[in-house]
Amino acid sequence: MTDITASLSPARQPAKPHRHGGVFTRYGFFLLVIAVFIAFAWLRPTFIAPGNIHGMLMSASIAALMFLGLTWIVAAGEIDVSFMSVAALSNMIVAGLVQSGSGWALATLGGLAAGLVFGLLNAGLVAGLRLPALVITIATGALAASVAAAIGLGTSISLSNTGFVGSILNLRLGVVPLIGVIVGLLYAISWFVQEKLTFGHYIYALEQNRAAVVEAGVPVNRMLFMLYVLSGLVSSLAGVLLAANLSSGQPYLGTSYFLDGLTSVLLGGMALKLGKPNVLGTLAAVIFLIGLLNGAALLGWTDSERQIVRGSLLLIGVGLVVFARSRNRGRAHT
Amino acid sequence: MAGQTGTILAMRGIQKRFGDVNALDDVDFCLGEGEVHALLGVNGAGKSTLIKILSGVYSKDGGTIEIAGKAYDLGSPRAAIEAGVAVVQQHPELVGDLTGAENIFLGHESAKPGLFSRIDRSGIAARAQAMLSRFPIDIDLGRRVADMPAVDREIVAILHALRLENARILILDEPTSTLTEREKASLFSMMKTLKAAGIAIIYITHRLEEVFEIADAFTVFRGGRNVATHTVKEAREKKISIPNLMLDSDKGLTFPPRSQKTDGDIVLEAKNLSAEGLFRNVSFAARKGEILGIFGLVGSGVDELSKALFGVVAPNSGEIHLKGRAVRFRSAAQALQAGIFLVPGDRRSEGLTMDEDVVFNTTLANLGRASLGGILRFGDNRKQAAALAAKVDLQPPKLDRALRGFSGGNQQKVVIAKGLYRQAEVYIFVEPTVGVDIGARSKIYSLMREISRDAAVIVISSDCDEVHGVADRTVALYKGAPIGAPDRATTRDQLLSAGIMGEMTA
Amino acid sequence: MISGRLIIRLLAFIALVAVIAGLFWTQNAAFLSEGNIRALMRHMSVQGLAALGLTFVIVVRQFDLSFPGVASLGAMTLGWLIASGMPLSVAVCGGLAAGIAFGPVNGVAGARLALPDIVTPLATRGLAIGFSYFYSNGTSISQNFFMSGILDLNDRKILGLDMPFAILMAAAIVGFVVLHASRFGRGFYATGENRTSARFSGIPTRTLIVAAFAICGMMACLSITLLVASSGAANVTAGNQLLMPAFAAVYLGAALFGRPSVGATLAGTLMMSTMLNGFTLLAIPYYYSDAIVSTVLIAAIALFDPRVSGLFRTLVAKKDKTA
Repeated sequence: MTDITASLSPARQPAKPHRHGGVFTRYGFFLLVIAVFIAFAWLRPTFIAPGNIHGMLMSASIAALMFLGLTWIVAAGEIDVSFMSVAALSNMIVAGLVQSGSGWALATLGGLAAGLVFGLLNAGLVAGLRLPALVITIATGALAASVAAAIGLGTSISLSNTGFVGSILNLRLGVVPLIGVIVGLLYAISWFVQEKLTFGHYIYALEQNRAAVVEAGVPVNRMLFMLYVLSGLVSSLAGVLLAANLSSGQPYLGTSYFLDGLTSVLLGGMALKLGKPNVLGTLAAVIFLIGLLNGAALLGWTDSERQIVRGSLLLIGVGLVVFARSRNRGRAHT
Repeated sequence: MAGQTGTILAMRGIQKRFGDVNALDDVDFCLGEGEVHALLGVNGAGKSTLIKILSGVYSKDGGTIEIAGKAYDLGSPRAAIEAGVAVVQQHPELVGDLTGAENIFLGHESAKPGLFSRIDRSGIAARAQAMLSRFPIDIDLGRRVADMPAVDREIVAILHALRLENARILILDEPTSTLTEREKASLFSMMKTLKAAGIAIIYITHRLEEVFEIADAFTVFRGGRNVATHTVKEAREKKISIPNLMLDSDKGLTFPPRSQKTDGDIVLEAKNLSAEGLFRNVSFAARKGEILGIFGLVGSGVDELSKALFGVVAPNSGEIHLKGRAVRFRSAAQALQAGIFLVPGDRRSEGLTMDEDVVFNTTLANLGRASLGGILRFGDNRKQAAALAAKVDLQPPKLDRALRGFSGGNQQKVVIAKGLYRQAEVYIFVEPTVGVDIGARSKIYSLMREISRDAAVIVISSDCDEVHGVADRTVALYKGAPIGAPDRATTRDQLLSAGIMGEMTA
Repeated sequence: MISGRLIIRLLAFIALVAVIAGLFWTQNAAFLSEGNIRALMRHMSVQGLAALGLTFVIVVRQFDLSFPGVASLGAMTLGWLIASGMPLSVAVCGGLAAGIAFGPVNGVAGARLALPDIVTPLATRGLAIGFSYFYSNGTSISQNFFMSGILDLNDRKILGLDMPFAILMAAAIVGFVVLHASRFGRGFYATGENRTSARFSGIPTRTLIVAAFAICGMMACLSITLLVASSGAANVTAGNQLLMPAFAAVYLGAALFGRPSVGATLAGTLMMSTMLNGFTLLAIPYYYSDAIVSTVLIAAIALFDPRVSGLFRTLVAKKDKTA
């Protein structure tokens, strides 16, 4: 038992909190990302061709957008596995509406509406009725995926024009797509909310000890409600962008984004917070993942080899989160 | 009632009913400014109901509440907090990764309330400083709570409760239950600091010696009423017996006559049984033909002792002998197999499957007997269950009704029937008549007597009259240690003082 | 045991199925033809076996999201054994053994290592894909199938019933005996409803939970064996379609009859298969039926949750005073 008379006298300022690990563990991931990019650039100069970089940044921006809500949901200790299906649904709604002549403005609204509806559905069932998140979002995801397939009668929908959304996607500042800048700004704002505002503070406290946060008077259910709605909205927005990006509606685009989303969120926890999912980590992990897979493709790796890479990264990400959570288990009570 | 100097809280005529039970009956309670006031009473006496009304969790059915002379209707926890009432639960919840200061101001990180307010980190540090100026305590609030010792966490929880400027009444619910002696001393010194700063403290405890250590006054609750309020000085001078105030001497209970048999076979023996932090050096011999009684208050280790005898808690040292052979149980299944049956203190979560019917519950601890080659013997089980239901006088004897639909007393009878179906050789009863009406109580006592004819019966309870009334030999457990050895000759008052104060009065 | 309330629920259920069947029949009279009823029963057999296994896991109040992956593993094991020339009985037992072995690994390892729930299903699926590449360098095996006799499992008849349906009935009977007439069934229910009380009654709760996952894995593999028999090839992705309908059947049955049981699951399976069969007959595309299954599942989970069902019951009770 610590002798509390040995602790500091009341006149001393409370010390700055001892946060997650040393400098290397916190920033090491970013170094890793940079190292990987340098390595690929050296092995295959085409890796850093402007066209390739632009393409990677475009993919990364859209993916990062899709995974934003998921990041906070997992950070709060919950899960959402419907995000990619909601993106697919939004994608198909946009394609369907555009193809039937509705114009991109209406189509975009339609896509976002889908995101809102499914966000509210998840929020109501998981945050409101406190039903188990995993099973519920599996079911809502399946529902979204089936509606997505239904819109295209089982196949994709080709689009002849990409409207104003496509125009926005084409804008770029050098190699950086405008979308990249916008998503970057969004992430910067999210980082601010996560670190400087009470919202982010409560998300992480929630994962540790929900009872304490509730007892402190914080409206926890309302927070989770917002998170699920956010996830639905950003996923649907990503779906809208993908419709222009791919010039088509792809009902099954969810499948690849699923694993990548989980991997990015979990692996991204490695950056800055030693195993706790956070927005900058997700962003870095998305860039890492896309760069790695792109570079591997350039090096001639086969599909299955790349799948193995994806799977291993997911495992590492899972291991990290388990490790981080086990450190803090059962130490929060008197 | 403005005017009475120094009274910070005046509760008068408080009524609270649950169904047709009077949890609080015309209760008055007053708290002086800067006073530490202990609240005493057995479980169910009304202490926690009063506290829940004061903290806004329950609403009162009648009576008035005045804080600092102003009338309040504490209709919600928020209203209570705004009125200056702060509560610290027995096991407060804290967020391990955050510092002490961050935990204190959880929910109040910035001047503006809301989910999207800017966290004012330097403000938090300053406010933490301000708290320490107001209540000078030796603690580093910049440390992660998960790294803090138990007493510091308790202090953080208390400061969290006091975070609002207007907090003036602090309620502590058994804060010392997880602290060592040294840590308790630190906590008490903090309480004195709070007193000096003008905070009035209501202190709920089961440990009477603490009353004399830290309290200025105390109130005893019994049966939903305030039966006595004295200052500690008064109690010392007039040698008031608190234990006697806490317990009803005459509840109109009838106990079956004692057994005179003293030479029954020893079935279960405990030799210096200890479990670290829970109980130590418990020794007794339970014989066939007699009932052994162990009296101990909540927190004295009796519940853990019963679980150690049943294989659910592992003892660190000492031995358990069953019919002469040393045994070690690693699970309840093993204990049952050896012939020990526990009637647990919490029948709803440990003794019964509430949504299943009488036959299901009665046969559950002996599925081997209830089945042949794995298949249940439905007809036979029903017959046996009916016979046992009659023996324990289950009212009404509806075998297909789910346990949830029976009264507490009848639920307890089913647990006993479950033990009888098991045909155990040792029956351990823990708090056997909590939530049981008078009629069922008498029946349960006579069942115990009947069972003791052919088996060893141990009764463990925090109700001294019950233990003394039903058992042949009794011993008390006080803070984990037995006071004396099981003895026929112990009087009720001796048992009482042993269990409540730790020493047998002559 | 047979109470008045149960009879009412049973009648309500039969009425519901009759209404659904009637609706389909008005759209296409072939719905009630012998051929279609048999197809329905086949469909029910595959879904029902998986749902029966899942019932045990739900009874002990756990979740098993990995059984589709386990079924895929079972399918590949079965396929590999057949392709290697093993006799049919050995091959089938091998497939079932894979289920018994991997079921508990998923259910228990997940809890022990405190892994996020999503991990074990993903891991199992990955493992199944890995195995399939290992066994056959591809995603499906069909060597030797015709000669092994596996197709008989689909084509033969016993006592006038199609083999798959006969297998379902046999499994249902065994399942019923185990869950409702044996001491183990008592143990399963006690473990699920109040684990502490069960432990204090000497019930081996940990063993039973492992057993529930093993049963679920085994039944999923049995189900996939029927699929393999009907398609003539072992496909690594076949297991995926088992998940949602199985959960829907168990939860639907539980919501209808008050608690999960063999009977409730069979009822839920019947209702789901009736709906899905009707959709197929009316040439409604798979994505609509998938959407319906998901919706039914969401509604059933919400109803099964005690708070929601309690709310529901008070609403109904207000209208119907004669409880």
